[in-house]
Parts: sequence; structure tokens; C-alpha cells
Amino acid sequence: MNKIPDLKIKDSKLLTHLNACVKCGLCADSCMFYKTFYTPDFIPATKVALVSSVYRRYNTMAGRFVPALVGAEDLDEKMAEKMVDLLFGACTMCGRCVKHCSVGVDIAYVVRKGREMLAQMDLVPKSLQATVDAAVQSGNNMSIPEDEFSGTIGWMEDELKDDLEDNDASIPLNMKGKRIFYTLNPREPKFFPLSISAMAKIFYAAGESWTLSSKYYDVTNYGFFNGNSEEAATIAKNLHDEVVKLDASTLVLGECGHGSRANRWEAPNYLNKAYEFEMTTAVELIAAYIKDGKIRLDKSANKDIVTIHDPCNLVRNGGLLNEIRFVVNSAAESINEMSPFGNDNFCCGGGGGLLAMSEFNDRRIKAGEIKADQIRKSGAKVVVTPCHNCVDQLTQLNHTYKLGVKIKTIAELVADALIIEKNL
Amino acid sequence: MDLYKIVAIVAFVLCLSMLTKQFLTLVAAGKPADYSKPSGNVKKGIRYSFTGAMSPFEKESACLHFPTYIAGLIFHSGIFLSLFIFLIQTFFLNLIDYSTIAKLLSVILVAGALSGAGILIKRVASRNLKAISGPDDYISNILTTAAQAISAYLLITGKGYAIYFLLFSVLFIWIPIGKTRHLLYFFFARYYLGLFYGRRGTWPQKQTGNE
Repeated sequence: MNKIPDLKIKDSKLLTHLNACVKCGLCADSCMFYKTFYTPDFIPATKVALVSSVYRRYNTMAGRFVPALVGAEDLDEKMAEKMVDLLFGACTMCGRCVKHCSVGVDIAYVVRKGREMLAQMDLVPKSLQATVDAAVQSGNNMSIPEDEFSGTIGWMEDELKDDLEDNDASIPLNMKGKRIFYTLNPREPKFFPLSISAMAKIFYAAGESWTLSSKYYDVTNYGFFNGNSEEAATIAKNLHDEVVKLDASTLVLGECGHGSRANRWEAPNYLNKAYEFEMTTAVELIAAYIKDGKIRLDKSANKDIVTIHDPCNLVRNGGLLNEIRFVVNSAAESINEMSPFGNDNFCCGGGGGLLAMSEFNDRRIKAGEIKADQIRKSGAKVVVTPCHNCVDQLTQLNHTYKLGVKIKTIAELVADALIIEKNL
Repeated sequence: MDLYKIVAIVAFVLCLSMLTKQFLTLVAAGKPADYSKPSGNVKKGIRYSFTGAMSPFEKESACLHFPTYIAGLIFHSGIFLSLFIFLIQTFFLNLIDYSTIAKLLSVILVAGALSGAGILIKRVASRNLKAISGPDDYISNILTTAAQAISAYLLITGKGYAIYFLLFSVLFIWIPIGKTRHLLYFFFARYYLGLFYGRRGTWPQKQTGNE
């Protein structure tokens, strides 16, 4: 290998996590990949060791002079291949292992740093990189042309007017000075347009002042997954600048786990500044509407037993455990929690960019069997989750493992229970 | 002063210097700037990271592997005790002169050494642990287990001074080099974890007021 990538150790956080693992191996049982395949390679400590062993080899005296003694490894082609396989293909960075690590190593963070090294070497899996390229070039990760998106929104708006019997009902595009700038996962206009109208109904019922952008509406940021911080920053900046251009006071992050995390928690650090506007997630917004009495719900509209799939980046890594439960409890009659749930939930398997990496499809679906078992055991007929990537993965698991459940977003569940009074 | 005691003191000073250097490197590097707006309490998160989050009821790795967790607790208690005893023996007084205290301490050390031996056996016997282990893992375990064993032997019999100080010399040289350096990095790791989860309101879990 000609070029040893720079791990960019700028502060003590990475230095800490590269030096803290004691290889106790207790993280194994927290990892769905290990629990599915029982391969020692899939133990989270192995993934940490891949990155830390390379760090040690090129950055420490012991690693330079007595590498075998301290587990320092050369970064050669074999090592790079292994890193791609394990850091991209066997980890969703869900962070379940982090919470249960004996020491407190931020394994997901180290995995991401490993991905950054691989990105510097142009070793990002092609299908994932293509998704990022699409977002950078077109403004959304599915390269939906702007006029196609506007057209979809146009007919969604027509259907909304018919549904609500109100010609003033709207799905505003590019309106300046609104309170809320809403964002979506591009999968919605492409495959799940009803989730757009669900949120539009909620906004209508709440009498909200809101808008979408026809160009930069994408909440996702696959730069968070591919390890290329510059691309992540470009994607984040496009959205940030659009919010400023349309002069909205609050950016609402649509139902997407990594998108919410990438914008809410990571993007200010990509751009090295605190944002000038407020940021909140769709779940928190809906929770506020319910609490403030801006929307009213009839639980009896959702009679089927519901279970909640907790998106890792919204709950464990985002703190929204109780907000999600508040909303779902307000909208559905009967909830059975999975076991474990909440901060201890298992990832659906679709995170970490894996949904975009067709190279690892079989592994992703197999690892998702743990989630499928959880759903089955809950006895629920409906699985609700505030993340479209999770919806996608859960839909595939539903089909593969014949679960016979309906998958819904929070907005769809709430919209079904909405008591709408016409806006006059 | 005996030569082996001098060697041990030099090794101890070297160990302290190297750990201090690592500590200062960490402090000088600073924590990363975070421009995101917190939704939880960072201080509470850090506090929780060192307290509640370490409980076996919160940590799946502990409750799923309870015997290993207990062995780890005893093992670490023994290690810290053996280091403390080294300082007392080397610089202050001869604990062997206080036979009741010496015997009491040696019970903990023997338990620690047995726990360390058990953990070592597990590392050799378990397919997973063997796969992720290297020389560092075995050396660290053997040295820290042996340190407790030799400390107990010394306190019980009053013999073995030379090997006691020589073993601790090797241990002190190894501590900052091997994974034993986690005695420093552990605290920074817990701090950063508490910072991460505290900022987001996961530790402790923030309430919405509608629970």
C-alpha cells in the first residue's frame, strides 16, 4: 500500500478509544452480527482492533519496534480488504456494543474512523459511494430530478385537497419565512408518497406554517456512513444554506434515524458552527403538537396491537425514547414492547449505510433475523418506527421471514388517528 | 537498600513518568469541539457513566456474564491492592510486621490471583477470546495475576522479596506499554461516553413529563 491514511487525531477522544479496549470480548453478545453468525471476526472488539492495530503500528514506538508484542499490524491489501468487509459490511454503527462495553469504548466511533481511513484510500463500497455521489451532485440521494419531485408534490397536494375537502390545504414548496422547513427521505416521493401526505395532514390539523424545498429536501446524509467528512459537510451545508435562504426558523428532520443524527448532532461539527436556526425531529414536533393540544387523536382508529422499533440513531444515540412512546401511546390503543427495547434495542440491520450496499445484502437480511424474531414474539400486527431506512429494512424482513405485519411510520400512525377540523 | 528494590523503584518512577506523559498528551489534545445544541445534561451524563451505567443491571455484558463480571471486580480489586501494598512495602513500612492485617490483605490478593487465573484460562479456552487475543493480552494478564500471587506469598510467608520486587519491576515497565495502560484510558473513555450520552439525554434518560 502506498499511502497510509491519516487517522486525523486532533483531540483526545479518538486517542482514548484507540487505547482503551481490553479485549474482554464481552461486547460480542451485544452485537447482532456476532449473535447471528457466531464468527469471532464479527465481535466488536475485533473491529476496534483493526483500526487500533494500524494506528499503533504507525504512530507508537512500541508499534514500530515490537509490533507483534503490542498487536500492531501493517496496513497491507489483506488488512484493507478485511477492514472493508468488517467496518462497512458487518457493522451498522448502531452503538449497542458501546452501551454495554466494560470499559466504555465508543466502538461505533472507532468504526467510523476506520471508514474514514478507507475513504481516504478510495475503498468505500461502490454502491454506498454512488448514493453519496448522487446526493452531492443532485441534492438528494436518489437523484430525483427537481421537476419530478415538484410534480409528485403537486399531485400529492391535489389528493390532499380532495381528502380533506379543503382547497386551501397545501404542501408548500419553496415558501419563504415559514416557521418550519420540513425534510424527507427521498424514498418517500419515490416509493412512499403516502407518508408525505400523512405529515401534510398533521401540519394541516396543527395549523402549521411550513414549507418544503424542491431542491434540498433530503434529510439523509450518507456522508455520515461513507467516512468522507468533506462530502458529509457538503451535503449538510446544502441543506443548511437552503434553510437560511428560505428564512425558516426551525428545521424539522423527517423520519430518518441517521439523517436526524447527521443533521442534529454531526452537521454543526462538519460545518464548525452552531446553527442559526432551531432543529428538531418530526417525532418531537408531533409530540409537542399533542402536548399543546394543537392536534387531537382518536386512538380507536388504531386498534391493532402495535410494537415500536426504536431506530438506534434516534433512541440510543439520540435520546428520544420517551418522546416516541408518548406519541405512539397517544395514537394507538394497544402497544406491546419488543424485548429488549428502547436504549437496548437491536438494530434492524439496515443502518450504517448497509441498505445502500448491495454487496452485503444477504448478510444484512440474515442479521435482521434477530429483529424479525423480536417482532414475532411481540405479537404485534403493526410495527411503527420513525425511520424510513428502518421501514425499508423491516419491509424486507417482513417479506423474508413472513411476519405478516404492517410497517408504519409515526406520521402514518398519527395521521390515521387524526381528528381533523377544517382550517377556516 | 537492596538492588532489586532499587530496580523496582526505578521501574515505578519510569511507569509513573510514562503514564504522566500519556495523561498530559490526552489533556493537551483536548476534547473535540461540539457545536450541536445539547438536549440532555452533560454533567449528569458523565456522573451516570461512572456510576449507574457501570451497574450489572444497566450493563448487559455484566449480567449475561455475571461470574466473569464478579471475577473481574475481584481481579481489579486485587490489582489495586497489590499496587497499594507495593507502595507501603517500598516506602513506608513492612506489612509483614502486622501479621493480622497482612493475612487479611492476602485473602483478597489470593482471591484476585485466582480470579486472574480463571480469566486467563477462559481466554485460552474460549474460541472467541483466543481469536481476539495476542501476546499483549496474555502478558498483561499473567503479570497482574502474578503480582497479586507474589504479594500474597510475601505477606503470608515473609519470603520472596527478590522475586517480588523483580516481578513488580517488569510489571511497571509493562503497564504503560501493554493494554494495562487502560488504567489511565478507562477514565477518559467513561468521561467521553458520559459526554456523548449525556448531551443527547440518554444518560440519564431524559423525561418528557408524560411518562
